[in-house]
Amino acid sequence: MTATLSLAGISVVRPLRFSDDCSTSARFIAKPSSNISNRRRISIRAVTAAVETRRPATSLYEVLRLNPGASAMEIKSAYRSLAKVYHPDAAARRLQECNDGDFIEIRNAYETLSDPSSRQIYDLSLMVHGGRNRRFTAAPVMQKRNSGFYTNRRWETDQCW
Amino acid sequence: MAEREPAYTVASDSETTGEEKSSPLPEIAIGIDIGTSQCSVAVWNGSEVELLKNKRNQKLMKSFVTFKDEAPSGGVTSQFSHEHEMLFGDTIFNMKRLIGRVDTDPVVHASKNLPFLVQTLDIGVRPFIAALVNNVWRSTTPEEVLAMFLVELRLMTETHLKRPIRNVVLTVPVSFSRFQLTRLERACAMAGLHVLRLMPEPTAVALLYGQQQQKASQETMGSGSEKIALIFNMGAGYCDVAVTATAGGVSQIKALAGSTIGGEDLLQNMMRHLLPDSENIFKRHGVEEIKSMALLRVATQDAIHQLSTQSSVQVDVDLGNSLKICKVVDRAEFEEVNKEVFEKCESLIIQCLHDAKVEVGDINDNLVTNLCKITEVYKGINPLEGAVCGAAMEGAVASGISDPFGNLDLLTIQATPLAIGIRADGNKFVPVIPRNTTMPARKDLLFTTIHDNQTEALILVYEGEGKKAEENHLLGYFKIMGIPAAPKGVPEISVCMDIDAANVLRVLTGVVMPGSRITVVPVMEVRMPMVDDGHGWCAEALNRTHGATMDLVTLKKA
Repeated sequence: MTATLSLAGISVVRPLRFSDDCSTSARFIAKPSSNISNRRRISIRAVTAAVETRRPATSLYEVLRLNPGASAMEIKSAYRSLAKVYHPDAAARRLQECNDGDFIEIRNAYETLSDPSSRQIYDLSLMVHGGRNRRFTAAPVMQKRNSGFYTNRRWETDQCW
Repeated sequence: MAEREPAYTVASDSETTGEEKSSPLPEIAIGIDIGTSQCSVAVWNGSEVELLKNKRNQKLMKSFVTFKDEAPSGGVTSQFSHEHEMLFGDTIFNMKRLIGRVDTDPVVHASKNLPFLVQTLDIGVRPFIAALVNNVWRSTTPEEVLAMFLVELRLMTETHLKRPIRNVVLTVPVSFSRFQLTRLERACAMAGLHVLRLMPEPTAVALLYGQQQQKASQETMGSGSEKIALIFNMGAGYCDVAVTATAGGVSQIKALAGSTIGGEDLLQNMMRHLLPDSENIFKRHGVEEIKSMALLRVATQDAIHQLSTQSSVQVDVDLGNSLKICKVVDRAEFEEVNKEVFEKCESLIIQCLHDAKVEVGDINDNLVTNLCKITEVYKGINPLEGAVCGAAMEGAVASGISDPFGNLDLLTIQATPLAIGIRADGNKFVPVIPRNTTMPARKDLLFTTIHDNQTEALILVYEGEGKKAEENHLLGYFKIMGIPAAPKGVPEISVCMDIDAANVLRVLTGVVMPGSRITVVPVMEVRMPMVDDGHGWCAEALNRTHGATMDLVTLKKA
């Protein structure tokens, strides 16, 4: 996040990691495809960055703000209430600055924990690795996508006319 | 807003809405349901959704445009009845069935029965469509016709709301490919409208349902437990199914299914039943044939309407040219000739329930819109207005409007209606993002080379459900170059697909050699779809030119 911020207004380098479920550990640095950033945008990002104190979650339960013993009902309602805050559509109304990285993280956690058998496997791996299992650890918060694209593209830029 | 942005910057919409907050009232996007045969507009008026009426007091307007002389007029303003207009070959309709399709598409071929000109060359380019005006076939496109219609809708809405309209939320069929969506967006752009959201029709209904459930649970102080609903929508052109799980204003779309079948198929099957040799008889597509075709169409339409209330109907129509139809048809015949259509509907529902991992017993409500027969049906939503009302609600939500009573405290978590993937493993379609993946989504898969020292790889991005690549819609293609020379199967080519909440798809690729974590060539980020009208023959041409020299296979890791 801080590295992203230190870049002066032109192009925000966004560290984008290919999602976790695949066994690759490769990381690619990709640039956003359009320079939508301007000074106003950056300042907003700085504000949200300051507000954001969440450290990378160490377990899927933490992603959903739950205790490891949570019931299926609790998992479901936690997912819904978090979706209302972090889904880009909802977040756009509250924060202006939204990104789907958070929601995808929440969604992935929910997908694992809402399925009894995959939850069991995950719980087992938590016990074995003491919550440090790389494969299941959710992507750190800093691997956010650059926001601003999340609304529909403008027809002016449509390549396929 | 513009002066604060560099000239070359294209503002994203979130910025636009952000800036517009400074103005006293943010613009509320209107909801439009462009149906194959009918169309409606609704808007959030501050406290509820209001359906707009045209000057003739209609909420549902026929979707057609008549080309008379120099001034085309559409179903919003036009004085004549749709049926009467159709007789002269100057009226174009069923745009939604034709938009974004190539001339090898069976749906386009079926449209040759329509009383205007649909010409195909069967090579995978866009079909030729024309209206007969003063004995001249004047060419047009589905986008253009739709745009003309949308202009009328926009003017009507602007008169009603006394403000300029720019942002719209449009409902779309589930089965529309991303390419077709770009065509719809283009039609909107031609009409001066900006598409804020495209919502699959049943998901718009789901949003409305979610709002009603939330309201009901607030009133009864209920716990707002999760409700599962099956939404089935069959219009003139498309059949859509969705399963949604709703609680506390959040609707999670669990599965979507859709197909290009609808009332139009029922009608055409029935026309073929009444006049088995119609295709040959009308082949010449002259003025007389068009008139006969339109007369048959109108008579068949009437017969089908009557069959919904009575068990048999007498069809008596003089098609001209000493061609007369005098036949009694009963409901059993109607069901027999349309057996395939009904079976397809059934299979869509079964598929959707299966994908959603829901049993019939789990369903709390069945929502059926438009024509259909199902036993227990949820009564809270007007079948013909559900989609447009949902779209209007989404328009308000997506415009950042908040309601003091919490009526807009809603969220629909969308799912991808079609799988997106690339061609690999020979000629297979390998999905990277499977169908019914929650959006926003980001997934990747690893591929590798099939030849020793293969330095280039062709990425063909498809969308659809077919097992073979060519059974799907081609969205775009690009080449990865500079893969280090290595034995086949060694380089790891990662293909990542990213769909954001506004449904914009990006494909990213990178190349990694084993043991390394850094990509050896710059990552390529391609926004899809990138194909244009000729896309029907693109894949074939690529195949002819390059064969399998740049192919990939999925990488299986132990």
